[in-house]
Amino acid sequence: MTSTRYRRLATVSLVVAALALSGCGSSSDSSAAPPPKASKPTGQITFWHFFTDREAQAIQSVVKDFEAANPGVTVVVKGGQDDEKMRQAISVGKGPDVGLSYSTDIVGNFCSTGAWRDLGPWLERDKVDINQLLPIVRAYTEYNGTRCSMPMLADTYGLYYNKKMLAAAGYDAPPKTLSELKEMSLKLTKKGADGNIEVAGFVPSTTYYENSSAHLAPIFDATWLTPDGKSNLAGDPDWKAMMLWQQDFADALGAKEVAKFNAGKGEEFSGDNDFQKGRVAMIMDGEWRVAFLKDQAPDVDFATAPFPVPDDQADRYGAGYVTGNIMGISKGSKNPEAAWALIKYLTLNTGAIVKLANGIKNVPTTHAALSSPDLQVDDAFKTFLDVFENPNSQTSPSTANGAVYQNQFDAFFQQWERGKVDDLDAGLAKTDQEIDKALQLGQAP
Amino acid sequence: MTAVEVGVRGGTERLDERPSRRRGRRNDRLLGIAEHSVAILLTAVFLGPIVLIVLTAFMSSGQTLTSDLWPHEWHLSNFRQVFVEAPFLTWLKNSLVYSVLATGFMLLSSFPAAYALARLKWRGRNLVLLAVITMMLLPPQVTVVPVYRMWAELGLTGTLWPLILPNLVGDAFSIFLLRQFLLTIPQEYSDAARVDGASELQIMLRVIVPMAKPAIAATSMFMFFFTWNDYFGPLLYTSDEPSNWTVAVGLASFRGLHHVQWNLVMAATVLVMLPVVVLFFFAQKAFVEGVTLTGVKG
Amino acid sequence: MLLMAPWAIGFVVFFVYPLIATVWYSFTRFDLLSPPKFVGLRNYRYFLFDDPNSWKALRNTFWFVVFMMPARLVSALLIAQLLTRIRRGGSFFRTVFFLPALAPPVAATIAFAFLFNPATGAVNTLLGWIGVEGPLWLSDPALAKPVLLTLGVWGMGDIMIIFLAALLDVPIEQYEAADLDGAGPVQQFRYITLPNLSPVLLFAAITGVIDALQYFTQAAVASALASGVATTGGGTASSLGYPDGATLTYPLWLYQMGYQNFYLGYACAMAVILLVISLVFVSFMLRRSASFLGTEDLR
Repeated sequence: MTSTRYRRLATVSLVVAALALSGCGSSSDSSAAPPPKASKPTGQITFWHFFTDREAQAIQSVVKDFEAANPGVTVVVKGGQDDEKMRQAISVGKGPDVGLSYSTDIVGNFCSTGAWRDLGPWLERDKVDINQLLPIVRAYTEYNGTRCSMPMLADTYGLYYNKKMLAAAGYDAPPKTLSELKEMSLKLTKKGADGNIEVAGFVPSTTYYENSSAHLAPIFDATWLTPDGKSNLAGDPDWKAMMLWQQDFADALGAKEVAKFNAGKGEEFSGDNDFQKGRVAMIMDGEWRVAFLKDQAPDVDFATAPFPVPDDQADRYGAGYVTGNIMGISKGSKNPEAAWALIKYLTLNTGAIVKLANGIKNVPTTHAALSSPDLQVDDAFKTFLDVFENPNSQTSPSTANGAVYQNQFDAFFQQWERGKVDDLDAGLAKTDQEIDKALQLGQAP
Repeated sequence: MTAVEVGVRGGTERLDERPSRRRGRRNDRLLGIAEHSVAILLTAVFLGPIVLIVLTAFMSSGQTLTSDLWPHEWHLSNFRQVFVEAPFLTWLKNSLVYSVLATGFMLLSSFPAAYALARLKWRGRNLVLLAVITMMLLPPQVTVVPVYRMWAELGLTGTLWPLILPNLVGDAFSIFLLRQFLLTIPQEYSDAARVDGASELQIMLRVIVPMAKPAIAATSMFMFFFTWNDYFGPLLYTSDEPSNWTVAVGLASFRGLHHVQWNLVMAATVLVMLPVVVLFFFAQKAFVEGVTLTGVKG
Repeated sequence: MLLMAPWAIGFVVFFVYPLIATVWYSFTRFDLLSPPKFVGLRNYRYFLFDDPNSWKALRNTFWFVVFMMPARLVSALLIAQLLTRIRRGGSFFRTVFFLPALAPPVAATIAFAFLFNPATGAVNTLLGWIGVEGPLWLSDPALAKPVLLTLGVWGMGDIMIIFLAALLDVPIEQYEAADLDGAGPVQQFRYITLPNLSPVLLFAAITGVIDALQYFTQAAVASALASGVATTGGGTASSLGYPDGATLTYPLWLYQMGYQNFYLGYACAMAVILLVISLVFVSFMLRRSASFLGTEDLR
């Protein structure tokens, strides 16, 4: 290249670099404190959520109720939005006034970066009693003392069992402890002439439907993080207990056969779901499965119960995993007053919550809604409400980097299930290190 | 488009037009049968998944994920649901706008660049070629961040323009492909025209472009098919403006949070593929049977 | 020259600018929501020493480069060659072999995942008819990538068309002269066909390598389906790379770290590393091609 070309290249690079760097610092308008007095909400706000179809319609009708109760406010609703889209939009200052996320993973990040406004001052100004919400949902809607979100409906997990299949094997009650679960599964499992499992009692694999380690953690009372935010897999013996339980259970059925059965499972959310097709007798699943069963497999004679607990923790029976949807106000919202009004309506107004819960068949999050006579509850659904209110139920801790630690542990667990781990203790310690390092990667210096 | 129309090659016979002249007609016939058999066998293998897609498009929602290969009932309503109830025509229109404009802009900007790289000699030519190729090496997942912000500043997010406009400044893949094709046109033709006193521009437009029509056709088709099936681009820029969705994005919308309607996805896939298949069937003659890229007299 | 001017603008705006931004971000901690904070070489150190998946992702992507690219190339060439000899029904066969390349990548991957489903797929059903017990395919870490390779070969129609066009253009006289000299079909292929195809072969090889380096969609969809998570686009984080990280390609890992775990600075570091590696690869190929094919000009 000639010297003039070098020079030209250099100037171009400098100009571009200047442009790039100038675009770097995202405009950070500070999360302004709310105006000192509540004013009547007016104007237009945008509301993004992730629902589609029937569930979106349920949301829509409740939003309409809100508009009716607040004339002067129009809500522009966009469905099918996920966390990434919200993040992109907020980062360029075009975030929705109100955003709804389908999990609690982003709470740590959105709260610590201010992507969602701090709602503490707003709650204080309007004298909202935060204790209307159950403690567990309060836990997953705030991070490090900053409350930047409010919970919409919740999900809880329990045991579904096929009454007919259990009765045929001589059981009239669901298992309450893990050893009962194992014993019943062995009896309920039917193998073919070639040794392959044709019908399973229960599938002891963390990659089978909702059997993930996160959902099993409350069953074993396993804690993910130490109080100072470090990974606790090696420190808490319940994790090892969980993994040994899984291995023992799978070996009893035949680890290879279990893997094969798992690989051939039907799509979770289709008519081919194993439980709906009678291919498995007992599964762990969320409260939404009730509606699916009624809709797609009405012939299945099923019932629900809390998931069995380890034998030495029998007094914790009734506990389960809890998670939920959360909503917040974007950093750059131009109409926070109306946005706040919508959030209050959707998360604290009993009528709205009950209507939503009935429509989407998820669990309501306030005491008032849970005890409302308008809430449609049948026996199957009641299990999940009980799990929700059980003091031993747990949720996953929030970190500044979402669910990274869960993925890392899952990867290790999958290796374990394949028999690739020789030294369990060393493996757990190593995974702890990996998790801690990954958390550090996201720390600001 | 026949060999005769595209440039004169003086008596060069074409591979698919020559009579069979090898030793022994019987050997020939056996060989021909063998070749046809292989072709038919391969056809079965290649068409298998396509057939599966088409069959699934006719199934009911519940049947799609079972092991049944043949629909119990033929749900033509799936197609109606995709075409009528979903705004399929809008998606089609958007896809057409995107693909046609992108392809057109690409040709306008990329052909001259490819021409310069292939047929003109200048310092730094190879370095620029390397630069063109390098443009394709950066993973889109990261280039998207600064580029997206740029478009957001310009207020064009939510539309398809961030995908169409960059083609005005060239598309690396197309430039590279066109360059390779253009390399194979012998210099004699350009030289002859130069001797006749034509300017460089005239050479490019009057001599080379007609000879490169098959190459242009091929490159255009690539661009068209790529943009037609492009999912992440339109998803990134238009996902919150359903009125601007292309068919690729619309295809993915047949899902609830917990439930994917595979039969509708497949029906939409069939409808999405149909126009391009038809397009290809008619366009293939243009550049396969009429192509003469090399072949000099003597 | 003026002809290159539009491209030059595009080069600066859509390549140099993002590249500089990417390089800058790679030295920061950046989650898109807060301003990037300089952290020096931390991201790079994490990639080299602390990331349990970085080397695995790199190995997986290289697997695709080393195996899938040649497989697609060779099959495309062979089928194109076959097509030059078929006269009856030529149009039909051409369309058939090109058709898979027209299928949207997501739908095609889904179709393949169904075909190779260990319990209900057609492949294992057919194997069952001949008494062979079919393996777990996409759920088996050893077989997941080969299945994806099959998917790639199935869709080789786009390269095939280019080869076909080039093959049809090799002048007949060259073949006839070789016939007279007594050269057999293999020799003719080596000394006539290949050299004539060299520009197009180079193009296919380079773009094939680039595609393999960027391999993302099909791996994401296949792993999501195999792990039983029903989505069409991405899949939840823990399903990417299923089974056992066998399908975790470099772009997939980059995407997960950058967009699902919010480590955008790290993702940019990964991108820079990939760029450097790709550049080395591609320069190597360009240099070798010139010498291998005996052409002086960088064809």
